[in-house]
Amino acid sequence: MPFVQIYLPIAALSMNVFFLLGIGGAVGFLSGMFGVGGGFLLTPLLIFSGVPASVAVASVTGQVAAASTSGALSYWRRGGIDLHLALYLVLSSMIGVVIGVSTFATLRAAGQLDLVISIGYLFFLGSVGIIMMIEATRSLMRHRAGIVVREKLPNQHNWVHGLPLRIRFKRSKLYISVLPVLVIGVGIGFVGSLLGIGGGFILVPALVYILRVPGNVVIGTSLLQVVAMMAATTVLQAIQSQSVDILLAFCLMIGGTIGAQFGASAGKFLRGDQLRFLLAALVLAVAIRFGVSLVVAPSDPFSMAAIGPGGAL
Amino acid sequence: MIRAAALAALLALASLCGGARAEQLVTTLSNPNIAITSSFSGETLSVFGNVEPDPGASRDQIAGPYNVVLVIIGPSVNRVARLKTNRFGLWMNTEQVEFDTFPTFFHVLANDRLEKIATHETLEAEHILPDAQTRVAARPNSLHVERFGAELVRLMTEKRLFGINELGVKFLSTTAYAAQLPLPADIPNGLFIAQTYLFKDGVLLAKRGDSFAVNKTGFERFISTSAQTYPLLYGLTCVALALVTGWLAGVIFKR
Repeated sequence: MPFVQIYLPIAALSMNVFFLLGIGGAVGFLSGMFGVGGGFLLTPLLIFSGVPASVAVASVTGQVAAASTSGALSYWRRGGIDLHLALYLVLSSMIGVVIGVSTFATLRAAGQLDLVISIGYLFFLGSVGIIMMIEATRSLMRHRAGIVVREKLPNQHNWVHGLPLRIRFKRSKLYISVLPVLVIGVGIGFVGSLLGIGGGFILVPALVYILRVPGNVVIGTSLLQVVAMMAATTVLQAIQSQSVDILLAFCLMIGGTIGAQFGASAGKFLRGDQLRFLLAALVLAVAIRFGVSLVVAPSDPFSMAAIGPGGAL
Repeated sequence: MIRAAALAALLALASLCGGARAEQLVTTLSNPNIAITSSFSGETLSVFGNVEPDPGASRDQIAGPYNVVLVIIGPSVNRVARLKTNRFGLWMNTEQVEFDTFPTFFHVLANDRLEKIATHETLEAEHILPDAQTRVAARPNSLHVERFGAELVRLMTEKRLFGINELGVKFLSTTAYAAQLPLPADIPNGLFIAQTYLFKDGVLLAKRGDSFAVNKTGFERFISTSAQTYPLLYGLTCVALALVTGWLAGVIFKR
């Protein structure tokens, strides 16, 4: 059946269109269920199925932007976005994105991109996964013991809020220093553009635990920030490395957005702590996969790459 | 008449690097323009050829058995071979050797074992073997060229971009032959050269070069040229596509 094969013009290889729609849909299902972008699953999946790492990272950003758009819009209608806070995050993340994209190009030329991607995934997914796993397990055990726990609203201030240059964020009901906001923005922009992830699973905990952003605006604000950041990354990657494959991104978008709708419905059947436990398990599994690839001797110690723009070969 | 024959002989002499012989090659390719479309999943290239007498030589001088070696060379890029070693418990790329303007595609087809067709020295001098390509492309003074070059050829062979097929050329008569080469789906784009070598008793009698192009067409060509020519517009289009897809999905599946 030749018509199921689609030739990806930038990746310069032909792939089964149903396979692309399928992994897009499967990751979209999980992202809809857990409310994350899914880039941290999709990028490794594409790399393991033969798409060059540079093309995978650059094209997944487009898919994450699409997956986050529908979520951001629905939060926007409900008033669940703090635009003022999002503006600060987006602008500072642009700085991080510019640094991240140029670091990406430098590392690729030096042959250390794969190493840094693996270490980055191991570190971020590993630490977030472990924290989430501990929190979810504790909550599950309390639930089993029959103790009713009310979701704690973290509204007390910490030392970070006391730094200079305070700004009032009305919708989040915060009057805090702008410095931690900018640091989080730059950091998330750098990590997201370097690893090809939206970074929602890092950004949401950072907003909740460091800035004390209330629960009703944290997801919406994070989604808007992810959309803006991924859009900027896509454009910058298109200019700098020319490795964004629009057909690959489009196949993933179609599968991803449809899968996300079913995932969101399926997610309603599970409690919050159950969802967080499953997500933590998934995140840890990906982290372990990268950890293993770092310490186990590779089946082939030699590898090759083409140097120059494009880099699809 | 005699002058013309002498001139032809002189030309033949010049083009054949010595050894004035009577043979020349006539070849044709099945498809000089291979188009990569959205459903491209590889294609078989056929080369047909015949050993003809030179102008002025008579047909009686054409006597086999001949041997034909066909080398298909793709466009070149700068390439690097890297070696992973264990450092601080982690496997990372620690050594690399760069090869400038190294072919992206290199296939050798022959009608017999290469070692029976010509001596190693001849094959080497004509750059017929893949290993010769690495020696040409390596930067002067690079260390480990032999080792990394051999590994690079192995990696390219595993991706079916390099190869040697000693049964790839079939003689249909004493002088006519046909060769077939399956081109993979991930074949690089650009200008290819099909270089044919005619041997007899280990002596190179004639050479002939043909070229063919592998190019994306239609929509695929449009996409890859826009990505290179208008990268900003291309990136913005991707973003617009993402936003519209996300918005549409939200509208369609609104619960």
